[in-house]
Amino acid sequence: MADTGEQGESVSEPLDLVRLSLDEIVFVKLRGDRELKGRLHAYDSHCNLVLGEVEETIMTVEEDEQGQESVKTIKKQSEMLFVRGDSVVLISPQSPS
Amino acid sequence: MENHSSDSRDPAAFLSSIIGAPVTVKLNSGVVYKGELQSVDGYMNIALEKCAEYVNGQLRRNYGDAFVRGNNVLYISA
Repeated sequence: MADTGEQGESVSEPLDLVRLSLDEIVFVKLRGDRELKGRLHAYDSHCNLVLGEVEETIMTVEEDEQGQESVKTIKKQSEMLFVRGDSVVLISPQSPS
Repeated sequence: MENHSSDSRDPAAFLSSIIGAPVTVKLNSGVVYKGELQSVDGYMNIALEKCAEYVNGQLRRNYGDAFVRGNNVLYISA
């Protein structure tokens, strides 16, 4: 590709989207029905991530005595988190709200 | 791509030819993403614009932009 190495605002490869989110709040979807929201401090080509001020949301399906299934969400806060890239499904920059 | 040179018979060339088009991306988990294909790389990592997430056919969420890690991709439909 002719435009590799370009450092502009362009998104010429998918990871540029992640690069443009450095120091911003990102939403990360992980395997196993887990989601993270936090500030992106670092990433690499494996999608290993370092996030700060993280809120983790874990979704589990619980079954009561009647066999009724309900989704339960657990939230956890972390100051700093290293995420191994292989569990990453999706990364999305969060427009500040 | 109209020409049938060995170049356009490359699956990766197909992917670069549909950049900018609205696509449907299905993941191994069954989750479906619909959006405008911004870019693809050799790992099949994908950047989607105006992306909608569907779980069991139901709209779950909208993302302005989304990066999808290539190993999760089942197919990309133009």
